[in-house]
Amino acid sequence: MKTILEAKRLNKAFGSNQTNQILKDVNVEIVEGEFVSVMGPSGSGKSTLLYNISGMDRMTSGSVILDEQEISSLSEKELARFRLHKMGFIFQQIHLLKNLSIFDNIILSAYMAKKNSRKEINNRAMKLMEKTGIAELADNDITQASGGQLQRVAICRALINNPDIIFGDEPTGALNSKSAVEIMELLAEINQTGTTILLVTHDVKVAAKTERVIYMLDGKIIGEQHLGKYKVKNNDFKEREEKLSKWLMSMGF
Amino acid sequence: MLLKMLRKDFHRKKSITITLFIFVMLSAFLVSSGSIMFIKLFDSIDNLFTTSNTPHFVQMHAGEVDQTEIDRWTSSNSLVKDQQTVEMVGIDGANIFLGNSHEPEKNSVMDISFVKQNKSFDYLLDLENQVIQVSKGEVGVPIYYMQEENLKLGDKVRISNGSFDKEFTVAYFVQDAQMNPSVVSSKRFLVNDADFETLKNNFDEKEYLIEFLLKDLSKLSEFSQAYQSSNLPHKGPSVDYGTFKILNALTEGIVPAVILLVSILLMIIAILCLRLTILATIEEEYREIGVMKAIGIDEHYIKKIYLFKYIVLAALASIAGYLGSLFISPLFIENIMLYIGTTSDNILHQIIPFISVSIIFFIVVFFCRLTLRRFNKITTVEALRAGSIGETKISKGFLPMHKSKYLDVNIFLGLKDILGRLKMFGLLFFVFIVCSIIIIVPVNFLNTIQSPSFIKYMGVGQSDIRIDLQQSDDIVQRFNDVLTYIENDKDVEKFSPMITSRFNVIDSDGVLENISIETGDFSIFPLEYLEGAAPSSGNEIVLSYLNAKEMGKSVGDTLSLIVDDNKKEMVVSGIYQDITNGGRTAKALLPVVNNKTVLWYVVNLDVKRHVNIGDKIHDYTEAFHSTKVTHLEGYLAQTLGGTIEQLKLMTIVAIVIAICVSILITSLFVQMLVAKDYSQIAIMKSIGFSLKDIQVQNVVKVLLVMVIGIIVGTIISNTIGQSLVNVLLSFLGASKIEFVINPVQAYVLCPLILILSVTVTTLLSTKSLKQAKLADLRVE
Repeated sequence: MKTILEAKRLNKAFGSNQTNQILKDVNVEIVEGEFVSVMGPSGSGKSTLLYNISGMDRMTSGSVILDEQEISSLSEKELARFRLHKMGFIFQQIHLLKNLSIFDNIILSAYMAKKNSRKEINNRAMKLMEKTGIAELADNDITQASGGQLQRVAICRALINNPDIIFGDEPTGALNSKSAVEIMELLAEINQTGTTILLVTHDVKVAAKTERVIYMLDGKIIGEQHLGKYKVKNNDFKEREEKLSKWLMSMGF
Repeated sequence: MLLKMLRKDFHRKKSITITLFIFVMLSAFLVSSGSIMFIKLFDSIDNLFTTSNTPHFVQMHAGEVDQTEIDRWTSSNSLVKDQQTVEMVGIDGANIFLGNSHEPEKNSVMDISFVKQNKSFDYLLDLENQVIQVSKGEVGVPIYYMQEENLKLGDKVRISNGSFDKEFTVAYFVQDAQMNPSVVSSKRFLVNDADFETLKNNFDEKEYLIEFLLKDLSKLSEFSQAYQSSNLPHKGPSVDYGTFKILNALTEGIVPAVILLVSILLMIIAILCLRLTILATIEEEYREIGVMKAIGIDEHYIKKIYLFKYIVLAALASIAGYLGSLFISPLFIENIMLYIGTTSDNILHQIIPFISVSIIFFIVVFFCRLTLRRFNKITTVEALRAGSIGETKISKGFLPMHKSKYLDVNIFLGLKDILGRLKMFGLLFFVFIVCSIIIIVPVNFLNTIQSPSFIKYMGVGQSDIRIDLQQSDDIVQRFNDVLTYIENDKDVEKFSPMITSRFNVIDSDGVLENISIETGDFSIFPLEYLEGAAPSSGNEIVLSYLNAKEMGKSVGDTLSLIVDDNKKEMVVSGIYQDITNGGRTAKALLPVVNNKTVLWYVVNLDVKRHVNIGDKIHDYTEAFHSTKVTHLEGYLAQTLGGTIEQLKLMTIVAIVIAICVSILITSLFVQMLVAKDYSQIAIMKSIGFSLKDIQVQNVVKVLLVMVIGIIVGTIISNTIGQSLVNVLLSFLGASKIEFVINPVQAYVLCPLILILSVTVTTLLSTKSLKQAKLADLRVE
């Protein structure tokens, strides 16, 4: 399988003298079509890892190669274009633009990317909304939808440009349990169509639906657990959850 | 604790606080300076008029004077306190050389006279308001020439007419309560009594000022009527004390009036900025306000915390502005001091500016209090739950992006943001309208006043050359000579002689009033009329706007004129604009029966197409001595030269102020916009918008508001602005001036200057966008 993302000796420090080191020589590799989650206690550096390997934040040192491109060498402008064309993001908070309708929020980045005609983009957005079960909300304001529905909007937005990889920062963190399950099943479904996903989570139930779980502590990756692809029809979620829980306990979680 | 919070807040919002401070300070500075200038102006005028003992009534007269007759009349008139007759020797500009200039003052529109110091009143003063005593060989030169010709003490003034040559040394600059203002076209040079006699013996042209001091100034109009109905000399205009004062105040009062106006504008802008800042702060700190309310802090105290900062800011800025004005306003006052003289400082000079600054301070604080009433709407639960007040209500339902087929995304987002937050962008819109008005009105007015077509507001038709002949004993002969010469000149296409004479008109109270009426053929160089048309028969008259207004006459009305001792009913056939001769002139087809009543003669002429106007003027100047031959444009430049120069300076200052205000407000606004939209910008960056994209959005927002602001500003300038200029000029005699607009200046250059400065400011102010990233907004 082709490696889509590779981080080598990634370091990130904060503070005036860079004394507060959050990431310490982190190495990570993700292959195409993989569904990976990063777990760890608060302050372990998992979100920082996500923002640094996605180019949202600048690393202190190290290398991140995404789709054969070293992202630390890219200018702000190149990085913005790279994000537009190659990446999708889903956040814990509903980070949507307040003055646009739900539909316009979804198509915005595709209109910017200009890969297809506006008509084609509109059609694709409608299909994605149908697929995620929010088609009837198209003309609504973002204030006229629930948290779960808005997270689906964010997923549609992340998918609109057919990205190589989707990054998720606690995508179910602000949702109720029912919505969280639905969102994770939707992401698993999307992953099965070939989209690579890397997400950060606290939630064992969320991580249990991913293919591989990376565990971080004090800015370092200290272990990983392969669970295999999750499929609803396999009806093996309980076993996956138990297996992961045991492993996490062994890691000190 | 309040001080601690204040310090913290200042460090957090340095640039916004400094900008607000600057606005309030400038507003306070200008209002203080403006009021200082006004007080000093009025004080100086009072001082000058008291020290010089300005006459209450002056009758100019060109011709012989019978002093015994005047004395007899004076002694029989109980209103008169004192009388003197000032003898003046008129010397043609062509015979006077000022300073190092080898060219005489032949093209000057000023009537130059030489006088000796008066004995009883109407003293000519030096720059220190002291009565001048000139020694032999010395001369006191009017301040007008000191500024126009850049003369210095010790420079020479030479008078030469071929047979007579004399050089004087400039020993004083003269403040002349009657003739100081540049709009007054007569100037008095002061010489020693012996030198005066020498000049008198060598120059024939004499003119007299028959001056009166009254016992009671309020009886001035009664006295004026008595004089007019007497047989005393009146071959020339009469001017009174009130007119002297108004002329001095008008000339020097324009600058402080404009300064006060600008200060009010700045105060409005400062208040609008404060409102925006307060609302943004409340929005930012909505949750903190909720917490304070939740822990039981009284709402009034929370308000006090916020108000305290603005009270301190407004107080410090007002004090700085006030103190600054005390130090800097003497520079502004220099010109007033120069023309009208010094005045001793008194406590009012400090108190009145202080009161005006205090008014600014209280207005600012009042509006802050008004804005802070928004606190009443904040409920604790709402504040804690929502964390955002949503002050700027965003309308989303309109302008859907997916319906737009071609519009660029960044332009679309900019446009949508403006339409969604109209109220917030309203401030910027207002500022841009004001700034474009501040630029366009002076630019258009300057262009209008410089344009040759401005002549139509001076009661004169368009012609190539104008020849002026002033009163003298041989004026009829000179006038006929000129006409004969012109008639025989094959280069002349057409010409029109005009004679202005004094007539008496019977006013509504049955009292005789003087009126200057120009007679001639008005069809050769036609005038533009506000209403009606040129007189077509002997019983028709056209009045200048001010005359018509003062007499309460409109087209079709009649007025009674005394012509050749008989009463004649004249029908007003038209009204025209005229800012010359105090704006009070008239024109009619009347016979000139009495040469004694003639005030002056003018000949207008056009030369044939192939003839060089400059050469022709030179020929005529050589041919006719004691006449003023001017090119029409030259006539404009000389008559309005000083005003044009002042207006040019004012226009430059206005442009600089407008640009500075636009830059400051844009910078403040964009910084606040970026701070307010920080999370939205970070979201856009996260989905692939570059810094440039977001800068483009901001530039689109600001420029769109600016372009609409400039368009609205231009429309207002050309309508309301023009009307405002008309209101101001109607006092001088022109009520319906139409701007002559230079489209390149008004529609291209001025907007371009604003657009460029604002675009650069927007780009520089969005530097902080670089830091906006979602990593800062994440919730662990």
